[in-house]
Amino acid sequence: MKLRTQNPPHIRSRESNLTMMTDIVIATLPLYAMAVYYYGTRALLLGGFGVIVSSLADGACQLLAGKIPNIRDLSGAVTGLLIPLLLPASAGYSMILLAALFGIAVAKQPFGGMGQNIFNPAAAGTAFAMICWPKSAFAYPIPFERLPAMVDDTVRLVSSPAYSLSLGGTPNIDLLDMLLGNVPGPMGGTNILVLLTCLIFLIVRKTVGLAMPAAFLGGASLVALLTPRVDAPALTAVAYELMSGLLVIGAVFLINDPVTSPKRTLPKIFYGFGTGALSVAFRHIGRYEESFLFALLVMNATVWIIDVWGEHLAHAMRRKNREFKTNPPVSEPAEQDVGAAQK
Amino acid sequence: MRSYPRKGILLEQNKEPGLSKEIRILPALPVERSELPGPVSSTPDLLAPYEIVSIAKEANIVDEIDGRRLWKKLAQAARESVSGIVVDALDDEPYISSQLAPTLQFPEQLHQGLRLALRAIGASKSSIEIYRNLFDLDTRIPSSIMGVKVDRISGSYPAESYARRRMQRNSTLVVGACALLFLQRAVYEGLRQTSAFVTVTGDCVANPGNYEVPLGVSAGALLEAVGLITNPKRVVAGGSMTGFSLTDPSTVYLSQTTRGLLAFAEEFQDMGYACLGCGRCTEACPQGLSPYFIYKVMQSHRKHHIELADADLCIGCGSCSYVCPAKLDLAQVMAQAAAYTHRRQTSGGQP
Repeated sequence: MKLRTQNPPHIRSRESNLTMMTDIVIATLPLYAMAVYYYGTRALLLGGFGVIVSSLADGACQLLAGKIPNIRDLSGAVTGLLIPLLLPASAGYSMILLAALFGIAVAKQPFGGMGQNIFNPAAAGTAFAMICWPKSAFAYPIPFERLPAMVDDTVRLVSSPAYSLSLGGTPNIDLLDMLLGNVPGPMGGTNILVLLTCLIFLIVRKTVGLAMPAAFLGGASLVALLTPRVDAPALTAVAYELMSGLLVIGAVFLINDPVTSPKRTLPKIFYGFGTGALSVAFRHIGRYEESFLFALLVMNATVWIIDVWGEHLAHAMRRKNREFKTNPPVSEPAEQDVGAAQK
Repeated sequence: MRSYPRKGILLEQNKEPGLSKEIRILPALPVERSELPGPVSSTPDLLAPYEIVSIAKEANIVDEIDGRRLWKKLAQAARESVSGIVVDALDDEPYISSQLAPTLQFPEQLHQGLRLALRAIGASKSSIEIYRNLFDLDTRIPSSIMGVKVDRISGSYPAESYARRRMQRNSTLVVGACALLFLQRAVYEGLRQTSAFVTVTGDCVANPGNYEVPLGVSAGALLEAVGLITNPKRVVAGGSMTGFSLTDPSTVYLSQTTRGLLAFAEEFQDMGYACLGCGRCTEACPQGLSPYFIYKVMQSHRKHHIELADADLCIGCGSCSYVCPAKLDLAQVMAQAAAYTHRRQTSGGQP
């Protein structure tokens, strides 16, 4: 009997890259359902288009790099699913196409593909599309107006609450409507309650941790509280800031991207807090009404440094911990003869 | 109730149906009786410490937890005047119950063996340690066995190596439960250790359970004797987390420290996943290391960071490999990194 050997451990957990990515795909499905409810079946077309383009681009780039294309881990599909959710439901197919291509072929695969990329592909692609089409990227259709498959000039487009906030005005929208997503805005970014439910699902499945989204929303609220833009009671102003734009969908999907976030708890909190604070700060100084994606990309660039700092910290803690000082790893004592013991 | 590693992982234990079955001797592999020279003491309670130690030496008893001879451990403990004995019946690795089953099924013999060992080292305190996170058991773990307190160790895998290390700090002697059973047999019945308790289980095994097996039997012969449903693709000697997988079971022979023999029908398939950077290994590592960081550093050219990561503190528990969703062989990488760190430190910074 000749068997193949394998290094221990001989049992493995059932979780795999595929199950993690499937969790994220499952978490996006309610958002697509809500988008269909608000804007019609065009939402599904956008999502399907995004998935096909980014999966194909992923496979093609792997082929170009001389690897065997492997899109089984669904990472390309997740990028394709997220990009339409960050853009208006009226976004053109060319916008999705360019965003997905940029995300996969510029932000992900040149760095070595899955697990090696520095920048979140969905965020990088969407940010690129926003820069290319600043007008149509920030003009949103009105909920409950069915969109045709091809958007033309007959579709009424309006600005979002984030735009009123950037002008210093209070949005004339009920906070309950903002919770339910009945406001113009990014296709998946407005359904705050659904997004929070998705976050709870992902946390219960242990696909994401609580630390980063909590620190992110905490950092964003703190800066919003300290530097109010609108003339409203402090908490209302913070609620408007948090619920407009891409902050909540970012807290659920983008900030938790395992590839582009730190690994230890303290660095995670630092990264989450920094991204949250930076995204609200960018709203003050940026030209766009929504600058979460740019803040995220800036913070993505620092993740390796944060990780190394985290290791320095853990190293120092270990050195301080007396357990390791006084008790080095157990070594076998020298064996001696029995005669000595019998005396 | 004590809890050892603050981190670590919770594992499905899969100890049933092996644990609740009686420990059997296989008819195909009978255990030979090998009697010690000289008469059996009629008053074992009156033996002097050195007599117990020399009986343990004659009987060739090996402690199954670390492979050291029992008499050497007892003699050393007597010299260092340790305060007590902790009986190790932890069995925190899934599938394996070769210490727990004898503890539960031969409590009287274990108690007698424990009393002998205590007298041999001149100590009085004793307790039995059993892992607590066993959810799939039909039998209940008692709170004391023959008047000896049972410490139920909660916490995640790997509880055992932490328990052992803490014991050594508190100057207590840790002895495996099976070694004490064999000590009892040597003193009360005058028998050498010619067998070992082995858990034989896995999804290929027709009749999983704990068996008393003569030493020196090959793993293949043991599997044949227990019975296989299908031909196994993987055979593992030892625990499911730290054991060795065998290329040819018929050429590997059981020793006193072989606590389990597992036969699985499925091979692992390489799905070609890449590291996602999810950080689960960092969360799981009981030593507080970051296998992710070490993996990245070992892959890259920035190897000066390896000093930061303290890879030499790795205890080889395999938790990182277990949780990895990309199914990377992180435990292997950790071992390589530990060796690399060691080379770097001994050669003054340059490997």
